[in-house]
Amino acid sequence: MLQNIAIGQYVPGRSFLHLADPRSKLLFIVMFATLVFLANNSITYSILIAFTVFSILLSRLSLSYILKSLKPVWLLILFTVVLHIFITKGGTVYYQLGSFTVEEQGVRQAIFISIRLGLLILFSSLLTLTTSPMDLTEGLERLLGPFGRIGVPVHEIALMMSIALRFIPTLMEETDKIIKAQSARGADFTSGNLVRRAKNLIPIAIPLFVSAFRRAEELAMAMEARGYRGGVGRTRLNKLRFSWRDSLIAVAAVLLILAIGWWRT
Amino acid sequence: MQITFDQVSHLYGKGTPFERLALKNISLKIPSGAFVGIIGQTGSGKSTLIQHLNGLLSPTSGEITIGDVVITPTKRIPPAKRKDIGLVFQYPEHQLFEETVAKDVCFGPLNFELPESMAESRAREALELVGLDYEAIKDRSPFQLSGGQMRRVAIAGVLAMQPKVLVLDEPTAGLDPAGRKAILEGIHRIHREQNLTTLLVTHSMEEAARYADLMLVLAGGEVVMQGRPEEVFQQADRLRDLSLDVPQTVSFISRINQLLPDTARLPATLYREEELIAHVLKRLSVPKEC
Repeated sequence: MLQNIAIGQYVPGRSFLHLADPRSKLLFIVMFATLVFLANNSITYSILIAFTVFSILLSRLSLSYILKSLKPVWLLILFTVVLHIFITKGGTVYYQLGSFTVEEQGVRQAIFISIRLGLLILFSSLLTLTTSPMDLTEGLERLLGPFGRIGVPVHEIALMMSIALRFIPTLMEETDKIIKAQSARGADFTSGNLVRRAKNLIPIAIPLFVSAFRRAEELAMAMEARGYRGGVGRTRLNKLRFSWRDSLIAVAAVLLILAIGWWRT
Repeated sequence: MQITFDQVSHLYGKGTPFERLALKNISLKIPSGAFVGIIGQTGSGKSTLIQHLNGLLSPTSGEITIGDVVITPTKRIPPAKRKDIGLVFQYPEHQLFEETVAKDVCFGPLNFELPESMAESRAREALELVGLDYEAIKDRSPFQLSGGQMRRVAIAGVLAMQPKVLVLDEPTAGLDPAGRKAILEGIHRIHREQNLTTLLVTHSMEEAARYADLMLVLAGGEVVMQGRPEEVFQQADRLRDLSLDVPQTVSFISRINQLLPDTARLPATLYREEELIAHVLKRLSVPKEC
């Protein structure tokens, strides 16, 4: 029941996006997110949508699977749409009922904001779907490397992130198991009012916490047993290397910036 | 209760890149009161199979009959019937959560809306069935117990629902030999006394040989062998092909039989350790005829 969540789930593959360097993918996402917020008319949004579709095709993952990553946030999107339609005013009045109106600006904003959210989520899930957690954190560590000189514990942050990412699926699986074990003892998680439902979560939450702490302890022990002592002097088996793919990504980034800069109003 | 599987398949992660057929057209029949050993490598579909028994998973196709309840892809098991099938998962101590042992064992019975006094007497009974002293243990925190005790408390939590079918997924994993034996002997006793239908998933051929009167061998999501233990153990080569082995008693018998003349061979039905020892001792004590 929990396997349906696509966030953070790496799908191994050998597509263009899988093989590109995680650093260029990370930088590209930062740039893309900025562009998404700079876009402000239908031309620029169309360009961004087209680019996202192109990237999805490039990842060779099934479209329906990627769209699933929107599932946890569609409520949020719906909420913002409703809010904008009712609250943002201006332009032609499309519909009126007493003091309540739906106006052009509201609809426009609602559409744009939902596209924004959708694109951001699709693009970032494309990153985690095509990049293994190891590559992702190494990319991040290398990108943030310069900040290490001013005392930012870059390696520790990267390590924390990789552990968190690594344990998302494990904890999901664990939750799934505990839910099943408690359902087998007749626990019911789907009925009753809010208070009752919250109470029903206790039989899941406590075992989950206990096992998370146990895992953390075991992991710490295992790392120490293998001589882990922080990032200083650590060497890597597979070094990140930029390739022609990353040059192409850079070109795409420049073109996208120029296009959005030219057409935005 | 009698259990029948008719052409049951199960597909995990339908429509995702992780789609996997975990069960392929499984058909089997387990008579009421049987003690079934389910054997197979990791990933052979054992856990998937047993989760179908109380509706945690629905079959993708096919039909399961348990007693008078029929489960199909669209028809789920009625909630009230779920308590008839007690499912003990791997490492069941990971599901403990209450403040005291007694409360944790009562969790199941209370969920099935038994009055509190009755739930308590059930908890007492269940804890005593698994060999724990109710008065001594009832007010302790389950997290302070030893691994073996925690496991017994968790098993008692399932027994307290008084299931008619007991399903155990590797109940002895990670225990020491004495703990393994104590748990299995306890389960076997409960099986006989309560007249349960018991399904025991295990990696250990020895355990299966010792307790099972019916064996299911799974590989790649299919039932590749089923029958009485001695029938299954006869096919030693096939078991080895599946990276499984025969119990040591069986390989002992076959090695000895190679040395013995045809008329003096040990029968293959002696796969239980005690019976084999008794038989061999008896043979050895008979004075040789000249």
